[in-house]
Amino acid sequence: MKMLISILPACGAIVVLLVLWQMAISFFGVPDYILPGPTAIADSMGHSWRMLGSSLVVTVEEALLGFFVGAVIAIFLAILMVLAPAIEVASLPIVVALNSVPPVAFVPLALIWFGLGIWSKIGIAALSVNLVVLLNTLGGLKTPDSAAVDLLRSYGAGRFGVLWRLRLPAAMPALVTGLRIGLPRSTIAVIVAEMLGAYTGIGQIIYQSTAQVDYLTVWAAIFVAVVASLVLYGILVAIDRKLVWWS
Amino acid sequence: MTRLLRSPAGACAMLALAWFVLVPLLRVPPLILPSLPAILRDAFSVWPALLAGFLITMLETVLGFLLGAGLGFGAGAAFAYAGWLERAMLPLFVASQTVPVIAFGAIVVIWFGNTLFAKIMIAFYLTFLPVTVATIRGLQSCDPERLDLMRGFGSSAWQRFVKLALPSAAPVIMVGLKIGIALSLIGAIVGEWFGATVGLGVMLLQSLYFEQTARVWVLIIACGGMGATLTGAISLTGRRFIWWRPG
Repeated sequence: MKMLISILPACGAIVVLLVLWQMAISFFGVPDYILPGPTAIADSMGHSWRMLGSSLVVTVEEALLGFFVGAVIAIFLAILMVLAPAIEVASLPIVVALNSVPPVAFVPLALIWFGLGIWSKIGIAALSVNLVVLLNTLGGLKTPDSAAVDLLRSYGAGRFGVLWRLRLPAAMPALVTGLRIGLPRSTIAVIVAEMLGAYTGIGQIIYQSTAQVDYLTVWAAIFVAVVASLVLYGILVAIDRKLVWWS
Repeated sequence: MTRLLRSPAGACAMLALAWFVLVPLLRVPPLILPSLPAILRDAFSVWPALLAGFLITMLETVLGFLLGAGLGFGAGAAFAYAGWLERAMLPLFVASQTVPVIAFGAIVVIWFGNTLFAKIMIAFYLTFLPVTVATIRGLQSCDPERLDLMRGFGSSAWQRFVKLALPSAAPVIMVGLKIGIALSLIGAIVGEWFGATVGLGVMLLQSLYFEQTARVWVLIIACGGMGATLTGAISLTGRRFIWWRPG
């Protein structure tokens, strides 16, 4: 109930926006190729829901798989780096260099390496999630001050004891922030990769419909993508609250 | 040593060295990772186009960033002081960002024509939200006791904003600006995929179509160099203005 009330103003704003949009389109007689109204877009979604639905499943699958692969590798690497500082020193140059390159620049490379199937999308999504989660988790694992570490040591905790009882809980908020930033990034990375080369998926529909000057379908695909990302984001926020209940 | 590795220049030098030595040593196939001299040769063979593309993409990125940062700051400040506005509008803003903006690329090009302005608008759209959110967070994190103190001395709302809220928000806003410039670069690159003729994004697309792995790497390095330069420029400006805090 509280949750419902908290999203009420946002829902109101969305409804007002849609109504204004529709009214403006009808009033000024804006042609569809510049900006179709919400009803026209809904109509187009109704016509091609089968194609949109099956593409959406592929896109969401790729985005989620990429997200999981990227996040798991990132958390594993961050823990490894904290346990063995030598690894951190050796791999930092790669992380720093990769981090300054925009992930979209790697899309052609992913397509050349992994082909047009789902693996190139999973790869690029994993990469774009990986760096942000890795840097966040690493920062989080290092938050406990040395006094707290010393205290646990004096009670006989080993490296893993310190990690499990102190560092991991301390890293949770930063880790969750990383995940939250990472999820939309993985969706965007997947759609961008699909636009440049794929057999199916929302990005590919957008690309093809643009080429066929079918802007209603472009808008319908964008709408579907927005709703899907919002749902994913909502689920993630709900999981966050369970994971970091103390903040 | 770690300090050196953490600095982007040091990291790049180490990475280039490893690349130069390891790729011929391990006989990595050129399709996966070409050797560094091969990449440098390729870069040299197209340097006029590369330079022109670099400058155009940089111009789009910087202009889009300035626009996005300016409006993002304005919106953030308005939201920070008008709670109802934030509750109604911020979710819309967040939703707008989960949209693969990139999907709009084609439509933005229809709206604004195949011009520099279309790319600037995409870069602007991506920069906008991180700066808005950072500004809200920063301004709201201002210590209420200090505000009360200033109020007690009879300060005006404007004085409280300029002398207290803004300086205490500045470090947070800097983080938003750094995220914004990285996203702005992505926007400029992807914006060029829809019919531009000059720019790093265009060259990236062409190298994909002709499967020129060496060229893809030239462009990845160029994009990374631009990302690092722009982020560095923002850090330096930040350090000048936020001298009381490291970073």
